[in-house]
Amino acid sequence: MPDSYVLHPEWEWPIMLALFIAGVASGAYAAMGLIHVAGDRGDQVVAHRLAFIPLPLMAIVPLFLIFDLGQPGRFLNLIFRSPGAAERGPSPLMFNVNSPMNWGSLAILIFSGFALVAFLDALHHSGRLRLAWLEGIAHNIGFLAVGEVTSIVVSGYSGVLLNVTNQGVWSDTFLVGALFIVFSELSGLAVAAIVSDRMAATRTSAAIRVAFFGAAVVSAVVLVIFLVSLASDGVALRALVASLLVGPVFWIGVVGAALLVPLVLLAPRARHLPNGQLAMVGVVVLIGVLAFRYAMFYSAIAFVQS
Amino acid sequence: MSENRGMFVDTSVCTGCKACQVACKQWNELEMEDEAAVRNHTAFIGDSYDNTGHLSSTNWRHVKFIEQMAPTTESLDRSDPRWLMMSDSCKHCEQAGCLEVCPTGALYRTQFGSVDIHQDVCIGCRYCVGACPFGVIAFNHKTGRVNKCTLCQDRLEADQGAACAKACPTASLTFGKVDDLKAMASARVKALHGRGQTDAYIYGWDLGNSGTITQGPNKGTAVQDVEVVGGLNVFYLLLDKPEVYKLPAHAALPQRNFAPSAGVALISAAVLGVTGLAAFRRRRIEENATAATPPAAS
Repeated sequence: MPDSYVLHPEWEWPIMLALFIAGVASGAYAAMGLIHVAGDRGDQVVAHRLAFIPLPLMAIVPLFLIFDLGQPGRFLNLIFRSPGAAERGPSPLMFNVNSPMNWGSLAILIFSGFALVAFLDALHHSGRLRLAWLEGIAHNIGFLAVGEVTSIVVSGYSGVLLNVTNQGVWSDTFLVGALFIVFSELSGLAVAAIVSDRMAATRTSAAIRVAFFGAAVVSAVVLVIFLVSLASDGVALRALVASLLVGPVFWIGVVGAALLVPLVLLAPRARHLPNGQLAMVGVVVLIGVLAFRYAMFYSAIAFVQS
Repeated sequence: MSENRGMFVDTSVCTGCKACQVACKQWNELEMEDEAAVRNHTAFIGDSYDNTGHLSSTNWRHVKFIEQMAPTTESLDRSDPRWLMMSDSCKHCEQAGCLEVCPTGALYRTQFGSVDIHQDVCIGCRYCVGACPFGVIAFNHKTGRVNKCTLCQDRLEADQGAACAKACPTASLTFGKVDDLKAMASARVKALHGRGQTDAYIYGWDLGNSGTITQGPNKGTAVQDVEVVGGLNVFYLLLDKPEVYKLPAHAALPQRNFAPSAGVALISAAVLGVTGLAAFRRRRIEENATAATPPAAS
């Protein structure tokens, strides 16, 4: 537990929204990959519709980051070494292996490439663009596996980044990376649920419903372990109880919307959901995941103020 | 023998005159924090002779005033006050959290062992702000970049010492080679202990000193040298617990969480992957079971 004499980095809503959107994009890509790999021919139409989602979302992410940095050009210093930073070596690419921000920047760049291929493949399958040669690449199991790995890095790097600070709550446990991954994948399955339900793809929806429920269970377990790990530290517990994870947003948004809703409505013995209701659960969970991002981001400020 | 340059801050002789703050402001041409507040006479923090309250992007040095009134700070009894002064700045850590996390190479280790910032390379991501265990490095809203003490890098390159140490009238700040300063600090602690001031110890390096606090609310508490983040090139002789000076007793590198966090994150991703694959497998098993079940006789 670090002592609380640190300054807050003033990461606020633009960063929070950027990471939420990147999380949904990477989660949607992971869900698409899952359906490609584990689903059968009948499921592929949902996977192709899902493939439209990551690229536009990833196009929005840099806008928020640039807004936060103030100048568009500055964003490039994360990727290319500035001539002024000669001490770190002669490579034209900037990569500090100790900085999760560098890992994340690189992952976002590479993942955007995979999202582009998925998007073009989806255009091909929709008949709006003839790119038959792309199918062999986009559906190649190795290509999908690498894409999945980069999507996982995009999902989790920001959590690892928060862990690798000296801020209260963020650095009091090493589970924030895991939390960010499970909530990103939960949001991706929420998007998949919305898409399959809207397409009335009943068989695919049935499998997604089970995967969605499973992700909610894993997310709840990781969240509980996270809270227990914080509670093992007196100072962190005080901050947590004082304002946890920013009060009602945490309890209503994260616990209620993101976890209890899917856990109750999608449980194996729960009643059959008529068309439209699985999509509604997906929307509620997306709101809950946004609440999770808010709670995690503002918990460090709440800690300082407690 | 290290050639690192640094500073020994002997708080036992600091009078809180703030000459170091002024010299720092002057040499580095640091502007006022809030000009409007100065004009309105609201710039001072109002409950202390401390004027800036903390380090910031325009206050690279700050003299802390720690006012201990017996028996409690709420008491009106001012008969036995104890004032501790400490001239604070960047510690130029041997293992610098800010430098470790910087994603652009803007923060770098100089030829003198100090930590400086390339202003033209900094993108203002503020990762270093959250990573510094001492709350030193600060975001400058005007420039959109971060600032902190540079140990007067420009003066060092001209073979001059830091401006603050040059201005200090009581030799509370001594600039020099870190190894020489450590020897000086050790001798100073022993001298103070010899005179009965057993509260003196070193914060930044473990030079083997230990003692007991003789005054203030922590009277009787044992203290000993504290080495943090691999050692501090700017280190302190303190007369009370580190927390009293708002210094972390257990400052740590943010990277301590990197490997475990990434490892647990990957495990959670693998668990989710298996969960997803199992969902589709379960559907297949259920469909096969349904297909294998003979239709009920009508």
